[in-house]
Amino acid sequence: MEVLRHDIIIVGGGAAGLRAAIAAVEADPGISVAMVSKVYPMRSHTVSAEGGAAAVARDDDSIEMHGYDTVKGSDFLGDQDVIQYFAEEAPKELTLLEHWGCPWSRNPDGTVATRAFGGMTTKRTWYATDKVGFHLLHSLFQHSMQFPQIVRYDENFVTKLLVEDGAVRGVAALDIREGVMRAIVGRSVILATGGAGRCFPFTTNGNIKTGDGMSLAYRAGVPLKDMEFLQYHPTGLPGTGILITEATRGEGGRLFNAKGERFLENSDYGVGSKLELGPRDMIARAIYQEIQAGNGIPGPYGKVVHLDLTHLGKELLESRLPFVLELCRTYVHVDPVTQPIPIRPVAHYMMGGVDTNIDGATDLPGLYAAGEVASVSLNGANRLGSNSLTECLVFGARAGRKAVEFAKGSSEGNQASLGAQAEEEAARIDAIRGKQKGGEKICQVRHEMAHAMEEGCGVYRDQESMKLGLADLLKAKGRYSDIALEDSSKIFNTEIIAYLELGNMLDVAEAMSLAALERKESRGAHACSDFPDRNDQDYLHHSLVHFEPGGPRVGKKAVTLGRWEPEARKY
Amino acid sequence: MSISIEKHKKTFVVTRFDPDKDEVPKTQTYEVPCQDDWKVLDALNFIKDEIDPTLSYRWSCRMEVCGSCGMSVNGEPKLTCKDPIKSYGDTIEVAPLANFPVVRDLVIEFDGFMEKFQSVKPWIIRAKEKAAEEGTYRQTPAELDEFKQFSMCINCMLCYAACPVVANEPEFLGPAAITLGHRYNSDSRDEGAAERNQVFRGEGTVFSCSYANECSEVCPKDVDPAAAVNQAKFNAVIDWATSLVLPRGSK
Amino acid sequence: MRPDVPAHPHAMQPSKPGSTRTAPPMRPAKFPAGGNYLRYMLFDATGIVYMLAGLVALGIVWQLGNGEAAWAAQMQRLSNPIYVLFHLVCLASVIFVGVRFFSLFPKAQPPRIGPAKPPPAVVFFVGLYGAWIGITALLVAVLAGGIF
Repeated sequence: MEVLRHDIIIVGGGAAGLRAAIAAVEADPGISVAMVSKVYPMRSHTVSAEGGAAAVARDDDSIEMHGYDTVKGSDFLGDQDVIQYFAEEAPKELTLLEHWGCPWSRNPDGTVATRAFGGMTTKRTWYATDKVGFHLLHSLFQHSMQFPQIVRYDENFVTKLLVEDGAVRGVAALDIREGVMRAIVGRSVILATGGAGRCFPFTTNGNIKTGDGMSLAYRAGVPLKDMEFLQYHPTGLPGTGILITEATRGEGGRLFNAKGERFLENSDYGVGSKLELGPRDMIARAIYQEIQAGNGIPGPYGKVVHLDLTHLGKELLESRLPFVLELCRTYVHVDPVTQPIPIRPVAHYMMGGVDTNIDGATDLPGLYAAGEVASVSLNGANRLGSNSLTECLVFGARAGRKAVEFAKGSSEGNQASLGAQAEEEAARIDAIRGKQKGGEKICQVRHEMAHAMEEGCGVYRDQESMKLGLADLLKAKGRYSDIALEDSSKIFNTEIIAYLELGNMLDVAEAMSLAALERKESRGAHACSDFPDRNDQDYLHHSLVHFEPGGPRVGKKAVTLGRWEPEARKY
Repeated sequence: MSISIEKHKKTFVVTRFDPDKDEVPKTQTYEVPCQDDWKVLDALNFIKDEIDPTLSYRWSCRMEVCGSCGMSVNGEPKLTCKDPIKSYGDTIEVAPLANFPVVRDLVIEFDGFMEKFQSVKPWIIRAKEKAAEEGTYRQTPAELDEFKQFSMCINCMLCYAACPVVANEPEFLGPAAITLGHRYNSDSRDEGAAERNQVFRGEGTVFSCSYANECSEVCPKDVDPAAAVNQAKFNAVIDWATSLVLPRGSK
Repeated sequence: MRPDVPAHPHAMQPSKPGSTRTAPPMRPAKFPAGGNYLRYMLFDATGIVYMLAGLVALGIVWQLGNGEAAWAAQMQRLSNPIYVLFHLVCLASVIFVGVRFFSLFPKAQPPRIGPAKPPPAVVFFVGLYGAWIGITALLVAVLAGGIF
């Protein structure tokens, strides 16, 4: 068993992972950082983010305002010490990205431009036309290339965390190209593997978002926090689920139903005067309700509503939303300059994830997590648009620094024992690769899981449908080991990877369903039609789901309150 | 706007190669019921899900931004998540990108590309870094426009698959790498043009480009690498000439 | 089915051998005579035409040093249809390359030359084609005996 030794191991090469690597190397230029990703870093799903990244930039803005908007957006479930730190660090992080080459869009005087975004009281979203994730990721990745201490293991799929003597000391990683397992060991591990949108049938997320890091931590005994909170982005293209950025609304886009009404003006939807710039959970629910009420516009992929940008003018659209124009023309054959865009809510982001504290540390020594995979918790029950990219940078950096501190005080662990664990993993995979017999197909079980998740964890939930959804999910899970695996080749075997990813998704889906069932109130993105009100008395806490051999156990964790008292969430 | 989701059968002739079993790549034919609005990638996913799970290829975002899914479709390099089925007849050939060694089926080895990419030093080089507390650099929209187009490269490598020089000269840096180096040379915040121009005049020389313009023809993001490479040639010469007249210290 | 033609065996090869056996890189399917590649090959093939033209020119200049009779004989030879055809091919090549090269000019300008932006494309076209036609006209006038 090949054992590769480094100091810090980072799993995942997106914004959070790359930022953590850079922070670690800057904290201690003498350490060795292994960056293990199942794809080359520039393919990470950060690349698809479009709208922008938030940080206080203008004189009419303040750290306090950004903090308050975020707390309120989170429906008061966000930890306020985390939010305070986030708002403070955000401008510095985005400035660093600018120094590292990120081509932020500019005002005529050369300062960084900002745009309006949902739930933000003033313009604080820095943007790079409408491809912020692409530019941010490429700037970070290219900047990281100058550090020889960062050793990349591209297209290596981590199947297990190696725990020894009570601490995480490495990972077992399957080299996708060779089909060989290796132990990559060190003194601390940072998970930065993103979310799990692919648990759902209709999602903005790419193929690689399968909750791998969440499952790794979960199976190692770390609880998953706030898993019931899944964000439905209001505006996804029908059929593909491709994201149409909130920036379309930030620049003035309007939503219309089949009757030509600007339905957000209906006060029942709670967005007040913010209209299309309300928070995502409220707008997603509004669209869903409009469609349920029969006001949806029929289309080949079901009912939609219209996002109208025609009044913004060709020049603005071409200069600020060129990617949106391209996507609409290519994928729905609509020209937003002259036609409204068909959209509907789509599974997008997980507020929940691996339970960490403000340092990105889990309660398993040596294990850290940052970015969408983690629940720090910045976003509580609902995330504001453009906070996520900044979150990856702020907490990626912090986790990187803290992981270095931990590594200095920790030992390397028993190499033989770690190697033996990786051997077991290798044997486990070799036993099923191309050999497992059964009557199921990967795509069948995946579709069943996705259908169950849409049933139970949709935009609106109720106890009845959640129970049915969970039952269907467990049925799908029961069929997992009955999937026939046909590809026996070791070289670039994507069938075994898809199989392992499905296993990870089933873990995450189960945790989401259980947490959703427990929370008998409506808060943020978790909207229950049978418990329509927020219940701070009984439910102002985070949910936890623990993996246990006998079956998952649900628990609670207190929310860190602070200067902002929970209040009714009105816009 | 009308999207038809009726299905029509198309024949896919797909390159297969398993180094453990095959001496050389071969092809395999699949009959696929295709929706009119599908892209080539949708058909490949159908094949993998429903017909043959042993087919290996890369894909991720399916929205033409991650650059994973570049393949050769009917002999031309295409981003399969963007390439509509409708533009083809009843038979579609899918092969791995040209000019790259092939690892498995439709998967190419592109570590050679990563090396060329890294060799142009694609990061901001400055004599003195500004501290974060000092704020951002000023860059006017006009200055941003000077390099913005060249920063749009998604590293899909279609340009490498189209370039006849890449096919014949292993040392050539290639369109995307040169474009990226040129992007940084044109960025008003960067001071590393001299270093990169030395790389441009080195082994991978930009002057190997003989203006086939195929790179710009196939680029799915309209980066126009041919423009970048030819601008880079001009800059490399000016830089060389000025370095004769004004000897510089080591940077 | 298109035939697969290998590219250079080391095309896009990493500096260290890959960890598994790979199939060799293949040339772009339409190379060299399909799609836009034909135009590219002709473009580069004009180099052969220029080389030959250079040899012919050297031959002519050589004869210049051999006296008036040799020069007259050379001029006689040049009216041979083969030479005329060759020179027509040269003319076609020069026009082809000139047009293609001039069309590259605006695209190949750096975004800024010192503090100044490069002029718009039309300036290049007027300047380059104007100079080309002007000098050609001048030479024709001289050779036809109209001037000097």
